[in-house]
Amino acid sequence: MNHEEWLERAEIYAVGALDGDELRDFEAHLSDGCALCEERLRESREALAEAAMALEPAVPPARVKTELLRRIGGTADAKEERSRFSWSWPVGIGALAAAGLVIALTWNLIATQKRLDETQRELAAMRSQVAQNEEVKEFLSDPQVRSIILTGVPPSAGAKAVLLWNSTSRKGMLLTIGLPQTSAEKAYELWGLAGSEAVPAGVFTVNEQGRVVFRLPTLPESKPFDKFAVTLEPMGGVPKATGPVVLVGSL
Amino acid sequence: MSGLPADEAIELIRQLARGDRAAFGRLYDHYATLVFTFALRMLRDRAAAEDLLQEVFLQIWREASNYNSERGSPEAWIITMTRSRGIDRLRSIRRRDRSFVPMEGRSGKTHDAPVESGAAASEARVTVNSALARLPESQRKVIELAYFDGLSQTEIAEQINEPLGTVKTRIRTALQRLRELVGAKAF
Repeated sequence: MNHEEWLERAEIYAVGALDGDELRDFEAHLSDGCALCEERLRESREALAEAAMALEPAVPPARVKTELLRRIGGTADAKEERSRFSWSWPVGIGALAAAGLVIALTWNLIATQKRLDETQRELAAMRSQVAQNEEVKEFLSDPQVRSIILTGVPPSAGAKAVLLWNSTSRKGMLLTIGLPQTSAEKAYELWGLAGSEAVPAGVFTVNEQGRVVFRLPTLPESKPFDKFAVTLEPMGGVPKATGPVVLVGSL
Repeated sequence: MSGLPADEAIELIRQLARGDRAAFGRLYDHYATLVFTFALRMLRDRAAAEDLLQEVFLQIWREASNYNSERGSPEAWIITMTRSRGIDRLRSIRRRDRSFVPMEGRSGKTHDAPVESGAAASEARVTVNSALARLPESQRKVIELAYFDGLSQTEIAEQINEPLGTVKTRIRTALQRLRELVGAKAF
């Protein structure tokens, strides 16, 4: 899946219409920290908020504000209530016991909900990881696929990547590690190099560990590639490389 | 319907996070109509919209410290919160009423504006010159079904009897256009 497809899902997610596996996978992708998708989501939500602000206004009744102010001022009101109320011992002990029980149950419920949320997040991340592993395995099973090691160029000398490339189908998959995360305005762009010709091969970002499993879009016909390189470019990518090379490798 | 300048709104939310009740009142004065209008458009019932308005502002009071201006404007934060709680209510209503079909589906007709009854019918319509109203009808409809009525892409495809791919394309094209229209307005 190329990154443009994730961005398309971000728009459908913003409007609240994404569902099923697409929703689960996209939320896992977001939790991996994709800055491009976060940005697209932010832009889409802003546009939708503008649309909401264009509805013909309906004014709420004044009693809602009065009630709200009373509710958020609950602490002060409760103190006044207590000063006016004289407890008898049995009522007081019973009320304290009931309050203790309610607090314990509420605490338990909150803790359970938290654990459930965490488990669901972990499960989504694991499913995403399994899906990625399956995808890589399936891709590797094709005997036409070659692997090309891309090594980091200073200041990203610690970064590494493997490109799985099928020159017949012109499909590929890039796996990186150790690339620094980009700012919100930047993204990495992969290039296939055929002599002096550089063919753009997709834009991606990485997670906190500098990792990504990036499926290249099917590339157009060109002379056979002899090298691949990754550059740092403006978000969304550019048709001709402008930024510094961060990874490079030869066939 | 317009909110405060962004800086003032962000400052009010900061004050709110410190427990400032006066700031809460000011924020309410500026955004209650926006929230209520949105809630009314979603729920099509004034009493339910009033309840939702209260819920949203109580959540704002409790969660003001979680607001991050880098992740979006106060309006987008508040609207996203309203929509999320509104969807919970809509789903609960639909669970109660399994025969729920959005109004447009019931009549079999296409409407230019949301369909409500009584007093609500005259409110919560999209203003003529808004960015949403400037979208082609087919695109505006999918946005309204998703954003205001809370339908998923699959439910929308069933509702308008179009392939899922067409629905996705319409949503994306509509959002792209909305972003352009809103961006153009900013200059």
